[in-house]
Amino acid sequence: MTTKEATVYIVDLGRSMGEKRHGREQTDLDWALEYVWDKITNTVASGRKTALMSVIGCRTDDTDLGGVMEEAEGYENLYVYSELKQYLLCDIRMLQDLFKPSETNEGDLLSAVALAVQMIDSKTKNGKGMPLKYERRIIIVTDGRGHIETEDLEQIAAKIKDTDAPIEVVLLGIDFDDPDNGFKEEDKDAQKAKNEDALKSFVEECDGAFGTLAEAIDQLQIPRLKETRPVLSYRGQLTLGDPAKYDSTLTIDVERYPCTMLAKPPTASSFAMRTDLRNISVAGPSTQSSNTIVGEDHPMTDLSAVRNQRVYQVDNQDEPGTKKNVEMGELERGYEYGRTAVHISESDMNVVKLETEQSLSIIGFVKAEECERYLPLSRSNFIIPQKANQPAQLGLSSFIHALYEAECYAVARLVAKNDKPPVVVLLVPRIEVDWEALVDVELPFEEDMRRYKFPPLDRKLTVSGEVIKEHKDLPTEDLTDAMSAYVDAMDLSKFDTDEDGQPAEYAKLEDTYAPLVHRINHIIRWRATHPDPTLPIPPPPSILTKYANPPAELLESSSKPFEKLKLAAKVTKVPPKAKGRGKRNRTERDKPLSGLDIDALLGNPSRVQIDPANLVPSFKQALTASDDLDAIQDACNDMGREIKSLIKLSVGDSGYGRALEALRVMREEMVELEEPEIWNVFIRGLKSEVLEGRLGGNRREMWWKIRGSKYGLVDAKRSLVSEVSEEEALEFLKS
Amino acid sequence: MADADNRPGEEEEEEEEIDETAYKTMKDAVLFAIDVSPTMLQRPKAEDKKADRDSPTSAALKCAYQLMQQRIISNPNDMMGILLFGTEKTDLKDGDSTFQHCYLLADLDVPSAQDVKRLRDMVENEEEAEQILKPAKDGASLATVLFCANQIFTTKAPNFSSRRLFLVTDNDYPVKVKADKDTAITRARDLYDLGCTIDLFPISQPDHSFDRSRFYDDLVYPSSPSDAIASTTKIAKSGEGISLLRQLLSSINSKAAPRRALFTLPLELGPDLRIGVKGYILIKRQEHAKSCYVWVGGEKPQIVSSSTSHMADDTARVVEKTELRKAYKFGGDAITFTPEEIIKIRQAFGDPVIRIIGFKPMSCLPIWANTNKATFIYPSETDFIGSTRVFSALQQKLLKSKKMGLVWFIPRRNASPTLGALVPAEEMTNEDGEQTMPPGLWLIPLPFADDLRQFPEQADKPLKTTDELTDKMRVIIEQLQLPKGVYDPAKYPNPTLQWFYRILQAMALEEELPEVPDDKTIPRFKQIDKRCGEYIQDYGKEFEAAYAQVAKSSFPHRGRATGKRASVEPDDEKPKSKRVKKEPKVKEEIGEGVSDEQMAQFNDKGQISKQTVAVLKQYLAARGKSATGLKAELVERVQKHLEGIGL
Repeated sequence: MTTKEATVYIVDLGRSMGEKRHGREQTDLDWALEYVWDKITNTVASGRKTALMSVIGCRTDDTDLGGVMEEAEGYENLYVYSELKQYLLCDIRMLQDLFKPSETNEGDLLSAVALAVQMIDSKTKNGKGMPLKYERRIIIVTDGRGHIETEDLEQIAAKIKDTDAPIEVVLLGIDFDDPDNGFKEEDKDAQKAKNEDALKSFVEECDGAFGTLAEAIDQLQIPRLKETRPVLSYRGQLTLGDPAKYDSTLTIDVERYPCTMLAKPPTASSFAMRTDLRNISVAGPSTQSSNTIVGEDHPMTDLSAVRNQRVYQVDNQDEPGTKKNVEMGELERGYEYGRTAVHISESDMNVVKLETEQSLSIIGFVKAEECERYLPLSRSNFIIPQKANQPAQLGLSSFIHALYEAECYAVARLVAKNDKPPVVVLLVPRIEVDWEALVDVELPFEEDMRRYKFPPLDRKLTVSGEVIKEHKDLPTEDLTDAMSAYVDAMDLSKFDTDEDGQPAEYAKLEDTYAPLVHRINHIIRWRATHPDPTLPIPPPPSILTKYANPPAELLESSSKPFEKLKLAAKVTKVPPKAKGRGKRNRTERDKPLSGLDIDALLGNPSRVQIDPANLVPSFKQALTASDDLDAIQDACNDMGREIKSLIKLSVGDSGYGRALEALRVMREEMVELEEPEIWNVFIRGLKSEVLEGRLGGNRREMWWKIRGSKYGLVDAKRSLVSEVSEEEALEFLKS
Repeated sequence: MADADNRPGEEEEEEEEIDETAYKTMKDAVLFAIDVSPTMLQRPKAEDKKADRDSPTSAALKCAYQLMQQRIISNPNDMMGILLFGTEKTDLKDGDSTFQHCYLLADLDVPSAQDVKRLRDMVENEEEAEQILKPAKDGASLATVLFCANQIFTTKAPNFSSRRLFLVTDNDYPVKVKADKDTAITRARDLYDLGCTIDLFPISQPDHSFDRSRFYDDLVYPSSPSDAIASTTKIAKSGEGISLLRQLLSSINSKAAPRRALFTLPLELGPDLRIGVKGYILIKRQEHAKSCYVWVGGEKPQIVSSSTSHMADDTARVVEKTELRKAYKFGGDAITFTPEEIIKIRQAFGDPVIRIIGFKPMSCLPIWANTNKATFIYPSETDFIGSTRVFSALQQKLLKSKKMGLVWFIPRRNASPTLGALVPAEEMTNEDGEQTMPPGLWLIPLPFADDLRQFPEQADKPLKTTDELTDKMRVIIEQLQLPKGVYDPAKYPNPTLQWFYRILQAMALEEELPEVPDDKTIPRFKQIDKRCGEYIQDYGKEFEAAYAQVAKSSFPHRGRATGKRASVEPDDEKPKSKRVKKEPKVKEEIGEGVSDEQMAQFNDKGQISKQTVAVLKQYLAARGKSATGLKAELVERVQKHLEGIGL
């Protein structure tokens, strides 16, 4: 839970705001709105009911004080657009129409402030008139070109500074002088100069923030981080030894909180477009419902929520190869053990659970430098002493420092809550300037390791076991040296500069922002204020792509070693298949370890018969046996016949798998041989035969499978010589 | 297959983690072909005391049994079968006797509980085994065996992307005339053309060492042109120091899962310098199967498969996938984008790539900067010739200089870009010279600023250790090093997973349920006591002293140490077991551990109103006071209570 907020935006809408100044392409108002919209949409996006806001237009054509106070002299040309409330998308839409420069320059900004103070004051107190806990804020954006009455400023300032209910005032001026950033507006209007001074002293009197719009917009670039309250994930003891059985044991009361946690972008839900529905509802006697639709300007009305409907099926034992639907009522929970269904009644579900007791117990210690950095497989957590528990503080502190000094980490077994699965965690000391803690990360179990083997990178082994040190896959000395020079040149650890001008690490964790998270947040907020669907989607803000490439300056300074590296590396891209009829040579065929030429062994047969019992291999061999187009066509005809017969003779779907595999091979080989037409002719024929039921009845499911595997026409994208377009190929699969 | 992990009624979530599901759909089928011949059935001579009791055939069967159980856990959708050859009996379970002297012990399929049981009976019950394990006089022809495997793969696993024949034999020349060899060679090539690989597990007998080059090098194909070595397995030796079973197990385990790449990507070292790499998941948390629905309406319970269709909520009209639109909730409404716009939004960061931004020393990568598992990266020559040597140069340089690469990483289209650390890894081998960790680079995803959580605020300035106390603790740490000072995952099977499948197996086979779980992660308390008891007591004494010292200096105005509610309580010489038993009760009484002293401290520092209402209520309730009313009233009552007890 975050604290409650009450924010009033005062937006200067005077006629002077409609001007474009200082060579900017947008009006002052549009420029100011960049900031205002960013702030407002951010709050709306949070969806917090406790973030109240309101907007007051200043120097507007009309006057409406929204009932905050009686209309009075000095309060003309102010417009209160809403009470303090949670803003929604419809409020944004409303404001969009209202944020237009007015026809007047009348209207007192400070009256608007007084109004805002009054609004906040009345909204943020309880029934007895006592102020409630709120963050109160007034944000003012103005060009300072209106008339300001400076008489009762002190009174307003005093109210703003009220210690029981202080209000934070932020004033952003358009082209106000800013000595800190060296900005001074030339030929400043005398009235504006006076106003700037008056506003500045007023804001300072209120202990508020006085700045320029330029500065504020600049800062919008930096994504805001969402603050999250730490959530406890373990509260118990860190133990060494078993206190229940042994005398000499050690226990420290600790708590565990997240240290890293992936921020997720907002998720979209699926909706269906309402298509025919509108006609139906209009046809009925639905004056009322259409009213509500118009009244709320609800974009949701053309979307309908989607529900997922599930169908449950089991293999039909009576008719092998088919499935039958079963009722939900006949289903119970269970698990799969291989292909055996193990049914466990609801009451027995616990038997498969390992009973455990909440604990964090040390298994042993490991040396820090022997610890492989790639082993941890989870996010990390802080382990700190329990709140206000001094013995725990002292105990954990001694543990942290002892680990640090011994250059060791602890390995421990963690059960976060009773009956939760135990995990093995690595406990690492972390000592910062202001605080210290243990940090834990999860380590893999035996089952989590996949033991794939890979050949060594620094030497080559032959089949006979010989070690080779020179090989095209091994770096030459030149390459090794060039790589070393390049890696050293591209060092980032001192590439940045800190506030004191000292060299600092580039791309520190805290300087990097999750690109997708902010991209999606940004674009949702953008769309909220740019509902026109014809507008192109803007690119992501540059700060999100800052680390997508090496810094240009560094690349430039390392260009020499880089050129050397390129030269020594001699990397060449494998060219896309050479054009022309891809003839495959017998000599290119893969050979067994011994390198034996099997075709020669068989006397290089020039024709191989397709053998239904050995379909795929004999097809492949037939294709390699001859480059003759007729022979290829013959092989494909035979293959095609076998495929059709597999489908035709299939009991249920029993033959479909084999047919699919044969289709895959045939399609692949035809692409390889650059003869897509042979395949395309065949698959067109097969499609009609399947769909027309000419292959032993209803074989629609077979077509679904072909479609699902995408074994459709070979288009020009896949094979250059194909005359089938991509669209045609897509259409072929769809229909 | 049934998508058992989707519960009915659950809302469909966005597809972010498609990687691993795609990974799983690459299914694998393994067919064991085990030679049954007089030499394979011969047990090692009794004089080797330590080693083998198993004949090569029975060792192979044991391996198969273990692999089958293991695969049910790790690859529940993959198939496995066992074919014995050279048996007197011929039986392929289909009445066909084309394949003489081939005996199909378990058909190629996802194993069932019955398959496991049958195999176990073979392994455990010698009489039963002897019935089947009778060698034929002339043995089986290898060509027949290979063609038999061909047929099994073709019919049972027609479109599996990985199909492997595990051939276990001690006969390095299983033919009599050359013509037979040629037939076998052709059949082996048929298998290769079919897309099946032969993994040979050769066994040397004491009097005859297996020579691949006599016969099998003409039958086995390299898995990739540059990778001849990975295609050959070490020759296991019967009748030697380490048991044959162990050698076979280790060989088979290394092949247990086919090597599948998660992605193939360019690794960009700089403008215009790209090499090809593949990413592999070598470390991944293995979870047990999720529960599924079982249909109990028939004779035998059956696994239910389910399919989902989308329905518009208002009209109950079935909606095709293409009609679905994505919308984000915003301000009480929905913000929509067309599918084309969604693509533009998500793919604004460029094509999939691993791009090196620069290099940093390894010390810039603390362990806490971890968010997820690492991915193993290894070079591939498929797209760029010369990738391997450049990769090798990079890996060796990083190892030498203890550096890491900072990379911009987009694993696939639509995926969120991350920054990652490219960390070098050396090849590691065990005492037998077998690789335990491959050489290469690891890509460790780094947290962004958004992923870093604040350090939880602590109410007061915590006590700090003293040098003396730290030293005492250090002694304990040094005493309790794990073997070689490293964590070896192989020694820690996941207790939850093991227990789950033990129970499930027992239930599937309708056997008695085991009672005691075997949990290797439970610390060895006895050893800790033996090795460290004394030092822990030393620490305990020092702790008392240090505590008196620091607690005093921390609160000079308070005469006594903040109570003996010590929880860091190195239980010293006095039998403290009683205290331990008592403790929970004490806790209940004063609830959540906020003692009078602690509350008094909060009060003194003006932090009492910062405590949550829950804490205050519990505190009051534990002391028999009224715990109702507004927070201000609670605070008042607490303060009154504290005054009352003189704090």
